Amino acid sequence: MPPLSWYLYVSAALFALGLFGMMTRRNSIAMLMSIELMLNAANINLVAFSAYLRGHTMVGQMFALFVIALAAAEAAIGLAIVINIYRTVKHIDADEINLMKW
Amino acid sequence: MEITGYNVAFIAIAAMTVTSAIFVVTLPNILRSALFLMFTFIGVAGLYVLANAEILAAMQLLIYVGAITVLILFAIVLTQQLMGARITQTSRNIVLGGVAAIAVFAFIATTFVSHFSKGSDMIAAQPAVPTSDPLLMIAKMLIQPYVLPFELASFILLVAMVGAIVIAKEDKD
Amino acid sequence: MTIPVSAADWIVINTELILVGTAMIVLLLDAFNRRISDRISPWITLVGVVGGLVSLGFLWGQEYTGFAGMLVIDSFSVLVKMAILFGTGLAVLLSVDYLRREELAQGEYYGLLLLSTVGMLLLTSSANLIMIFLSLEMLSIALYVLTGYARMRPRSQEAGMKYFLLGSFSAAILVYGVALIYGALGTVDLAGVAEALTAPGILSNPVLLAGAGLVLVGLGFKVAAVPFQMWTPDVYEGAPSPVTAFMSVSTKAAAFAALTRVLVFAFSDLSGVWMAVIWAIAALTMIFGNLVAIAQNNIKRMLAYSSIAHAGYILVAVASANQLGIQSIPFYLIAYTFMNIGAWAVVTVITRKGEEGVGLSDYTGLFWRNPLLAVSMGLFMFSLAGIPPTAGFTAKIYLFMAAVNANLIGLLIVAVVTTIISAYFYLRVTVIMFMHRPSEVSAVHVPIAAYVAIIIAVVATLWLFLFPNSTQAFTEAVWRMGL
Repeated sequence: MPPLSWYLYVSAALFALGLFGMMTRRNSIAMLMSIELMLNAANINLVAFSAYLRGHTMVGQMFALFVIALAAAEAAIGLAIVINIYRTVKHIDADEINLMKW
Repeated sequence: MEITGYNVAFIAIAAMTVTSAIFVVTLPNILRSALFLMFTFIGVAGLYVLANAEILAAMQLLIYVGAITVLILFAIVLTQQLMGARITQTSRNIVLGGVAAIAVFAFIATTFVSHFSKGSDMIAAQPAVPTSDPLLMIAKMLIQPYVLPFELASFILLVAMVGAIVIAKEDKD
Repeated sequence: MTIPVSAADWIVINTELILVGTAMIVLLLDAFNRRISDRISPWITLVGVVGGLVSLGFLWGQEYTGFAGMLVIDSFSVLVKMAILFGTGLAVLLSVDYLRREELAQGEYYGLLLLSTVGMLLLTSSANLIMIFLSLEMLSIALYVLTGYARMRPRSQEAGMKYFLLGSFSAAILVYGVALIYGALGTVDLAGVAEALTAPGILSNPVLLAGAGLVLVGLGFKVAAVPFQMWTPDVYEGAPSPVTAFMSVSTKAAAFAALTRVLVFAFSDLSGVWMAVIWAIAALTMIFGNLVAIAQNNIKRMLAYSSIAHAGYILVAVASANQLGIQSIPFYLIAYTFMNIGAWAVVTVITRKGEEGVGLSDYTGLFWRNPLLAVSMGLFMFSLAGIPPTAGFTAKIYLFMAAVNANLIGLLIVAVVTTIISAYFYLRVTVIMFMHRPSEVSAVHVPIAAYVAIIIAVVATLWLFLFPNSTQAFTEAVWRMGL
């Protein structure tokens, strides 16, 4: 059986890649995909801890289940916003809406 | 490290997951990014199976692969078809983002993982095998201690549904 | 099989149930008859909010724990919930005529507003990291939609998109942090966390520290603390004004309640670490918010930076983490609710269709156009600046006393200096309104509902200054609460 640390490596990689995507991508759908990667990274951690922590309580699996449900809700809202913004302003590059303007 | 079937399977699935994720955040064609995102999700489901979380793996496949990826693909295709938006995309701050990502990964990999690989009385060497039917356990937990989060999640889905309709509906008048 | 829900469980969520019921009525009414819904849904919403306030009155002074320790009712959460509901109620009064002016649909707006409020109320009581995450998502998802509610106005949509992307990003960071805390301690229950932290050697666990740090980042986004404030000005500017009014006070109140519960009650054994961090964030937030606000010529952006600055002041109370500090948080939140919504109410009334007329120049000689409005706005500016005779003054005094008690002299100096700096841009608005007589005087039309909201805010702002003792009994009870 693989040890816990292997899961943590994979999770860390996904989290870092999601962060990279958030910082570099300009298309808002691509940014949404990066956020999904980060949520998956967190879920891997939760499931792995749930399996390896002594006194197996399944709390982590439970939490991961809620995170999955919420990811679906977030994706629905995000894509509705994206489609509506296309209809009126014809672009979805986050840069063009000055995402980081102070 | 022993070479067992589980370990080999883990390495293969993890390699697929991480490679796909790299493509997701680097490919210029957003449609391909979305397809690779699907492979990442499938890989994560495989990792859940190896951690004895079959129920969660099924949920992952149903919701992430079946719903979210399709939703994302729909949004890409719709916006491209209706508005002629570019399917290619550009990136910025690649150096900064790369440095930040590598730093975060290195930090997590060195400090946390070493913390957990030392082994402690809290962490077992093997993933726990569920003693009873895991589906029954999850069902019971959803009703007993987690009834409120469960109900709340249903309301969040309601908010998302109403909200998505409010935002994306066509104006008739 | 029956679902075991005890009497205490029902009591703990009764305020939320009232509001959820109201939201369902509003949404269903809208689905069946849009014409009737357009006319009466704001008033149904107000009835629900008042009902929620009444139920809080019954909960006052009692302590309950429900749903296996996931939700707690104590004086702290009741007071913060009151602040949230005051904010919701006043925002409804502002929205009625605003939605009519902007030709936006009424029904779903109030449904989403109420469900967002429910998320905030639950966040205030949450004593479990799962509940904190879920209720944070509930309030955020509804707010993403409300921010982009003016679907034909690009600025509103862009604000919605920006809020959504950065909000989801912060939520993902929060979940990762919670996962790490779970891995380090084996629990996500706040009481369990507090207990686990007493174990020897656990405090130097890097996983725990990183997890707590990431949770702090996630909540920092919601309260708009520097350096996680970058979304605030654009979102506050782009969102419909009543929505901005609502989220600038109620979201802040709920997020601060959660932050306080997590830091002061669950992670109190780790205070040696987070106190320094909060110290720095508070100082940066006060300095940044107030300095950048000076440069703004758009009143909505100025108020957005002012809101960032006020988050910094409340963080001073969190950093002091003593009895007075914890007591002053609900007081500050209630005072801030009235003075800030009051200011946004005036802004909502002055702006014209399509959110035009938000420059400071639009306020020139307001006194001659509508004296009552100008005097009210002047009072709110005084209050935000912390000048007597207003609630803002009393709230700041409590805060400074808490900082003195906790021996945070450096932070106190920053707070006092930035307060003095802030007087410049708040008083500038007052000067513009009173000193420059316009060449042509055109009256400002103020809808009755907005007048009511402004008058309530004025009375409350004065009341909290004149009779702080009326709330002192409340705030003193706060300290006695258990987790």
